[in-house]
Amino acid sequence: MKGSTLAMNKNKFVYTAFLAIAFAATFSACKDKRSTGLEYARNMYDPIAYNPDQPNKNFNDGKTAQLPPAHTKPVGFTEYDEYPNTKEGYEAAGVSMVNPLPVDTVNLAQGKHLFTVFCSPCHGDKGDGQGHLVKIEKFSGVPAYQTGSSSRGGNMVDLTAGKIYHTITYGVNNMGSHASQISPTDRWKVVMYVQQLQKGQ
Amino acid sequence: MRDISMILKSVWKSLFVFSAISVIAVSTVNAQDAKEGRTLFKAKCSSCHALDAKLVGPALKGVSDRHSEEFLLKWIPNSQGLVASGNPEAVKLFNENGKVPMTSFPELDETKVKDILAYIKEGEPKPAGDATVASSTLAKDQGTSGLSIAGIVAIVVLAIVILVILGRASKLLERLILQKQGIEIEEDVPLKVGVRKMFKNKKFVMFFILCLIICLGSFGWMGMWNTGVHTGYQPVQPIKFSHELHAGVNQIDCQYCHSGAFKSKNASIPSLNVCMNCHKAVQARDKYDGEVSPEIKKIYNALGYDPETQKYDESKAKPMEWVRVHNLPDFAYFNHSQHVVVAEDAIRKAKGLQPTEPVCFACHGPVNTMEEIYQYSPLTMKWCINCHKETDISGQKNNAFYAKVIEAHEKIKKGEKITPALLGGLECGKCHY
Repeated sequence: MKGSTLAMNKNKFVYTAFLAIAFAATFSACKDKRSTGLEYARNMYDPIAYNPDQPNKNFNDGKTAQLPPAHTKPVGFTEYDEYPNTKEGYEAAGVSMVNPLPVDTVNLAQGKHLFTVFCSPCHGDKGDGQGHLVKIEKFSGVPAYQTGSSSRGGNMVDLTAGKIYHTITYGVNNMGSHASQISPTDRWKVVMYVQQLQKGQ
Repeated sequence: MRDISMILKSVWKSLFVFSAISVIAVSTVNAQDAKEGRTLFKAKCSSCHALDAKLVGPALKGVSDRHSEEFLLKWIPNSQGLVASGNPEAVKLFNENGKVPMTSFPELDETKVKDILAYIKEGEPKPAGDATVASSTLAKDQGTSGLSIAGIVAIVVLAIVILVILGRASKLLERLILQKQGIEIEEDVPLKVGVRKMFKNKKFVMFFILCLIICLGSFGWMGMWNTGVHTGYQPVQPIKFSHELHAGVNQIDCQYCHSGAFKSKNASIPSLNVCMNCHKAVQARDKYDGEVSPEIKKIYNALGYDPETQKYDESKAKPMEWVRVHNLPDFAYFNHSQHVVVAEDAIRKAKGLQPTEPVCFACHGPVNTMEEIYQYSPLTMKWCINCHKETDISGQKNNAFYAKVIEAHEKIKKGEKITPALLGGLECGKCHY
């Protein structure tokens, strides 16, 4: 009798153990894509510094991404205050700004790469205003560099380097400012390439 | 009398025919006008105007009701001339719209302006029910995919139940027949007793335990290997930003938004001003009954931007908190630009990427097909090491990075003075990362 109860207990034990494992295996098999899964020592993965788009209680506005304090500027920052985002600033830039970079194959190749990434979605690879976004009708009214007319007067083909630089920096009409994406040196490379496209090359 | 009625009849008839023809003619001319006008509108006006939303200039829907055609015919070709001449309506319009001068279009003659006005009056041509049909079939498709799975499960369950019932019934009938023939049948051994008997068998118990150990062991082993590995992690983001739409359908280069990847350590999550480069104009109103898309509205809310006045109010801004997907711990140094600029060719070759695919796909997978972004690669040390062991960089002699290394070696060979600064030791990031 005693033996049989022991055997029964053992059976029950094995039974439950098996069921528990089957249960665990089935549930752990379907991994939750919303969770990072099992982690050990998570604090080793968390950054010590604040991530730029995370909240920060050390500042009054609660943001980590802060503007530089007043009267300071980052190392290597090029100011562009003398040509404000006005019609006068645009005209002044058009008259007095010249491309500081020499026209050579290296600069043109980099200009072409930057143009392809940042401008061609709307302006098209050839600057004809027929980029992919225009073709699929997400954007429209993009003037062609060779034949279009500028909304600020004159023809696109006559735009000077300074005017193109001003437009990339501040944007115009539906085109936004690309200053945060393209550094001043890179902007001049783009200007150089755009001026090649104006000539239809 | 009869003649007169005949004449009247024929006059009526001809009048009717004439009016019908003229209605048809006018309507076809109008359609032609609107079509021509649409092309002109897209080419000349749409960089500043939309039909139902304010962009740089005001929304143009109903412009013919607000202004006389006579005025518009003068205003559109030369608005600044009209303002300068002191036309009161023109001056009022100019002042109402923030004194932003409208470009003059001397090339638009009277018929062209009329074409454009016809288009504005008629609005965007409806794609003849195609869109609605497409969307309804799409919805149906999605519905059936969910339903069909449930249906299959239901059918399987039903089949099992029927089989069990049929099996029992046939067994019962068999037994009844046998009983009628006077044949005694042995009762079935109950399942419980059978299982109990099996567990008294020592060999079986040993086998069972062995299986258990193998299962548990492999389960634990796999669990340990996958601890802290976030492959497939796909958190819910505050905006339903689709890489499939932006990188796939719209074919925008990765670098347009992640402009840091090619010049710094970080690929950088774009700040919202980059979104606004397009979404100032792109509002997907056609899909939301003339309202701004709710997801695009989230950008506006985060920036405190009002699409009606086109002004930013920083006091209303609520910054976006994206959820980090790829989290490399601080103790591991990874530089994006080293990989996507310096090593681009080598990585392309090693991973067999197509020339049309960006080099980013080597590690981030087919991002242009991901509606929601997820972590494609494991980002484990083993994964890094394996790639560094296998990638062939022998063809990289013209690469500026390796040219510098070779130059430094030449200097060492010649016994010239060489300092850490020459090897890039003054880069801030060498120590402060």
